Amino acid sequence: MSASMINIQQISKKYATITALDAVTLEVHQQEFFGLLGPNGAGKTTLMNLLVGYHNPDSGTITIDGDNVTQDSLEIRKRIGFVPQSLALYDELTGQENLEVFGKMFDIPRKMLMEQIQEQLHAVELYDRRKDKTKTYSGGMKRRLNIIASLLHDPKVLLCDEPTVGVDPQSRNAIFEFLISLNKQGKTIIYTTHYMEEAERLCTRIGIIDHGKIIALGATDKLLEQLTYEETIAIIKNPSTEENKKIFEKYGALVEEDDHFELKPVKRFLLSEFFADIEKQGMQYSWIELHRPTLEALFLQLTGRRLRD
Amino acid sequence: MKQVYLLFMNSYLRFWKDKVSVLLTFIVPLVLMTIFGSIFSGSGSGPQGIRLAVLNQSSSPVAKQIESSLDTMKNFRVIKSFKNDSGKVITFDTLSIQEYVRTGKASAALILPPDAYSDTSIGLYVKFYYDPKNDIEMQTIRGLIQQVVFSQFPSIIAQSGLRQAEKFLGIQSGTAFNRDMASIVHKYFKIDTNLILHPKLSDFSIAGSDSGKNKSNFFQNVVRIEDQQLVGKEVKNPWATRSVGGWAMTFLLFTLTASSSSLFEERKSGVLLRLLTSPVSRVHILWSKYLFNMSLGIIQLLFMFFAGWAMFQVDIFSNFFNLLLIIIAASTACTAFGMLLAAFSQTRQQAQGLGTLFILSMSAIGGAWFPTNFMPATIQFFSKLTVVYWSMDGFLEVLWRGVGLISILPHLGILFGMGAIINFISIRQFKKGHIFD
Ligand SMILES: Nc1ncnc2c1ncn2[C@@H]1O[C@H](COP(=O)(O)OP(=O)(O)OP(=O)(O)O)[C@@H](O)[C@H]1O
Ligand SMILES: [Mg+2]
Repeated sequence: MSASMINIQQISKKYATITALDAVTLEVHQQEFFGLLGPNGAGKTTLMNLLVGYHNPDSGTITIDGDNVTQDSLEIRKRIGFVPQSLALYDELTGQENLEVFGKMFDIPRKMLMEQIQEQLHAVELYDRRKDKTKTYSGGMKRRLNIIASLLHDPKVLLCDEPTVGVDPQSRNAIFEFLISLNKQGKTIIYTTHYMEEAERLCTRIGIIDHGKIIALGATDKLLEQLTYEETIAIIKNPSTEENKKIFEKYGALVEEDDHFELKPVKRFLLSEFFADIEKQGMQYSWIELHRPTLEALFLQLTGRRLRD
Repeated sequence: MKQVYLLFMNSYLRFWKDKVSVLLTFIVPLVLMTIFGSIFSGSGSGPQGIRLAVLNQSSSPVAKQIESSLDTMKNFRVIKSFKNDSGKVITFDTLSIQEYVRTGKASAALILPPDAYSDTSIGLYVKFYYDPKNDIEMQTIRGLIQQVVFSQFPSIIAQSGLRQAEKFLGIQSGTAFNRDMASIVHKYFKIDTNLILHPKLSDFSIAGSDSGKNKSNFFQNVVRIEDQQLVGKEVKNPWATRSVGGWAMTFLLFTLTASSSSLFEERKSGVLLRLLTSPVSRVHILWSKYLFNMSLGIIQLLFMFFAGWAMFQVDIFSNFFNLLLIIIAASTACTAFGMLLAAFSQTRQQAQGLGTLFILSMSAIGGAWFPTNFMPATIQFFSKLTVVYWSMDGFLEVLWRGVGLISILPHLGILFGMGAIINFISIRQFKKGHIFD
């Protein structure tokens, strides 16, 4: 295992009456692509804000790249890139001007900054639009600009707080590819999301956060092994299947969804047996699907709730 | 320090890009100032039937002409005689005409003394008496009389002034003067300038700065209106100063409130978060905001006073250094006011709403629009608690009374002091406040 890059020890943060983070301890390694998965209000943004020193924690310590992070440690921020959840751009300025304004704060030699800006604009295909005011950009373009504005100082660590909100699948893919390439180049990335598909696709290790607590942590495939069942079987709802749903309960827990049943097996059995059994009953079904285990299911198992409603 | 400078420059970049802000900061106040300024300058049609006592002691045709012009103007009801206690109609003399104004029977008096104009005199000389109680009306009357007097310029210049000018100043500055004068007369009174410029002198060169100085002396000599304010201090500068200073102050407050409350916008858009997660601290943000607002305020005030100078000949240069000091002090205090609003408000709308309320009432009671001595004593007490009052009073001290540094020290002290106290309060509020959360 490679060296530790981010070390979070027992941090807590309260807002008035709400405990946003409750004694969170977490370690992220060098060049890891770490996913922080959690529903709305779980405390993801709060954790990110603490990691970059925007707020101070009520208790606990954070070190990044060996240095303590607090509100007053401006130097450490030169090694951190932070992509805020909200678009943080000046609408009235052009893409290029936005990048210049924010880039200058990092004390990069002018020539280098200009090269960086050009390079990053090309990387996310915004170069042709660099002279347009950002208020004329589409949502996806703004998101991309929002990301590269955090990369101009070539940080070792990149903290992305839901960087793809409101982006269509195609642009989202492009952003994923871009982030993966950054990770390959050696950047350590923490990526927050409430889409388990994103976390599964991008991240090598994942922490699941809920109500300010890390409730599961580990490599994605290892996490899924925690599931008591490995896959679910979805069965279309129709008069015939509804009438005979008792059969399914022999095999596991049955959850009723709007248009289908979800069977969560509690024991191992052969699918051929299962199918033979329901066909023997003369059940009419138009489809039955096997679902591989997901983080969504893990979240459901751990909390009794879904990631998103 | 570097961060503060970068943020400061960034503020200017964004200000400049935001054409609406630029318009609101410079053009709108300028237009308003011009409209109000020209109402008082009398170049519009102006008010009607102002009671003006007139005494013409001069036998010169120019004086006669001025008298008859006044007679025909709708703005004035010219009074030349009064009824004494026994009901007898008596023509004014120099004493009775002053008494007439003093007792409020006429708004002002104009005397054309025996030596008002002669072939050998270099210009025109009139006396003007007034009661400054009604400041605004006075400004109007002065403007109107100036208009009448200036309208006699073509004949004054043509008859003798030109010769005198050449003799007095040498040919070069004399012609330059005539050229300038002609353009002013043309601009304001729509008189064909060919009447003024002697054809043979139309081929001129621009006068150097030395003769420029003489030029203004000469100008003062050509039309010498001797003011005598019958009540209170002597007022040297005309009406426009108050208008310029007043509008400048009101808009300064609006500009600085808007600029301070842009912090809310920056928070909402997330740029504040982005900045504060780069190597920038809250202290940097606040410093840059203060410095930007202060400098923008100074630029705006200077712009307004330059405009006042260009359009209404407000004399800003003879006491420029002291004017600049008051401008800096006023800007400092108003910046503090704007930041205070931002510190205590929850949203931009709130800051601007509260701001508008405070600005309008402070401008009104602080004397930005009319003199505080019109107001009841209790209100005058509150006037003195406003930034506007001390700024306006400072401007008037410097521009009207031409006072030196010592006399404006109280103004500077109070304005800087107010600024310091308000800043202290707002910085404390910013520290525990919501704007950075
Ligand atoms: N400035 C604040 N003042 C008060 N409460 C806050 C503040 N910021 C966050 N909270 C609360 O803290 C908790 C955690 O919020 P946080 O923004 O960290 O969640 P999140 O996981 O980022 O959610 P989302 O997915 O919606 O972005 C929430 O209950 C939220 O209401
Ligand atoms: Mg969030």
